[in-house]
Amino acid sequence: MIKLTNITKTFGKKIAVNNLSLHIEKGSLTMFIGPSGCGKTTTLRMINRLTPYDKGNITVNGIPITDVDPVELRRNIGYVIQEIGLFPHLSVFENIAIVPRLLKWEQKRIEQRVEELLELVTLDQSFAYKFPLQLSGGERQRVGLARALAAEPEILLMDEPFGAIDPINRLKLQDSFLEIQEEIKKTVVFVTHDINEAIKLGDKIAIINEGNLIQYDNVSKILSDPANEFVENLLGQDRNIKALSLEKTKDFIIKDGFVTVSNTEPPENVMKKLQDKDIRLAFVLDEGNHLTGRFLFEKPSKTKKQKFIYDPDPWIAERQNNLNETLSKMLEAGEKQLPVVNRKKEFVGLIRLSDIFEEVNKK
Amino acid sequence: MNIVSYYFNNFGKIMSALEIHIFIFLASLTFSIVIGMAISIFITQEDKKKIGRAILSFMGAAQSVPSLVIIALIFIFVGIGIKPAIIALVIYGLVPIIFNTTSGILSVRPNIIEAGKGMGLTQNQLLWKVKIPIALPVIMGGIRSSATIIIGSATVAAVIGGGGLGDFIFIGLKLQKPEMLISGALTVSLLAIVVDTIMAMIEKKVISKGLQIKKT
Repeated sequence: MIKLTNITKTFGKKIAVNNLSLHIEKGSLTMFIGPSGCGKTTTLRMINRLTPYDKGNITVNGIPITDVDPVELRRNIGYVIQEIGLFPHLSVFENIAIVPRLLKWEQKRIEQRVEELLELVTLDQSFAYKFPLQLSGGERQRVGLARALAAEPEILLMDEPFGAIDPINRLKLQDSFLEIQEEIKKTVVFVTHDINEAIKLGDKIAIINEGNLIQYDNVSKILSDPANEFVENLLGQDRNIKALSLEKTKDFIIKDGFVTVSNTEPPENVMKKLQDKDIRLAFVLDEGNHLTGRFLFEKPSKTKKQKFIYDPDPWIAERQNNLNETLSKMLEAGEKQLPVVNRKKEFVGLIRLSDIFEEVNKK
Repeated sequence: MNIVSYYFNNFGKIMSALEIHIFIFLASLTFSIVIGMAISIFITQEDKKKIGRAILSFMGAAQSVPSLVIIALIFIFVGIGIKPAIIALVIYGLVPIIFNTTSGILSVRPNIIEAGKGMGLTQNQLLWKVKIPIALPVIMGGIRSSATIIIGSATVAAVIGGGGLGDFIFIGLKLQKPEMLISGALTVSLLAIVVDTIMAMIEKKVISKGLQIKKT
């Protein structure tokens, strides 16, 4: 999809990028990581010609980017930067509509697209008429992503997009970004200096240092087989634990061992249903499939009689979380199983501690 | 009482002087805006930012030159009448417009420009759709102070035959007729207040709502 061949760039006497070759595959999420000043951002900016390169060749879909008018090229590549650069004088709607307007889309199509995108980035439609200064950092970031995706570009370039967000919200944004990417399957090049972010998000990681490409491989390969000491240090001592985070919660979701009931159903019915099926767990869903509570038969013990309890606010695991995150949630909650929801908070199934242990033992 | 009777007896004259005054004001302000914006846009282009900064500091200093000096210089080089008066006022009115427009455009945050470029805006689109709208509060401030300065200085321009309400003030001074002087001064002051109010309304209208929100 994007092919960099022997790219070299110097700023004055300093070599920013040194003879770098890289093939970014279609539909993959490629992370560029390295210490600051290593040339990762410069390399990213060369792809949409914001920074010219001195030597070498970059092609997108086989076409050298120098053969395309830079303005034309950039309209077909989504671009998200740190602190996003939303236009403060335009509403969220107008911000998202910029590139479609440049491409002369019809108003109706633009309106439809903005609606779709707000939905995609899980922002309420009422946000369309707000201005950037009225949004929180995380909301701005979502609008920035929506704006970059507006004209349906095949490629998305992201330059430390979550860098200025606080750690808790950054994790949330990463989760929803992963889920969005799963839906849209763009070719994404993502610059970061955070190794955890690189491992969590990336399909592939390109490790860059002093303008040189040190290692470029699948995340699991990099974790299991670091090319040299520099990569080892970058990964840190706990890389075996980090490897657990490569497994996604969504791959361990099961659909049995519980029943789902509507939130209008009286508890007696639920109890009977469970007893009939010999199941101990029921999840309560509203008409929008959102989890609103759970019914549970506590395991009978010698001292206590079996109790039937209702829990209106159960712990939940998120579909997009990795296994590491879900595991720590389970330990924190003291539960052997957790209901799983997607980013729209819709119930999707159940995850069991025993299945996670099984996976750990495989390694 | 003297003043009121003077005012009503000479109402026609005062009004025609006001008309000339407004004409001089509007003509000078229009030229100042057009020329000032053109110069500012030219010196804030990517490759000319150094010139821009230099002119900016020059303009900062130029703001302290009294209007009478400019008017006197124009008198020496161009002569007497309404045209030299307008030329002098345009030059004097340019200063705040260039100063504010240039500094407004130069202070648009680089990541916003970067994002615009990255999305495929051309240099022109970047200027008209991003830089100028974002700098508009500062630019409008410049236009507003230019308007106030021009109205005030237009009275001084009467000394080189510009006409307008300045005539009442200067002739009143020479003839020692305070009622004449005050009539002129009062009308000019009123005009200045009305113009500033109108400008404030325009400002509110043209500046994006998104920029008028206070950060919470």
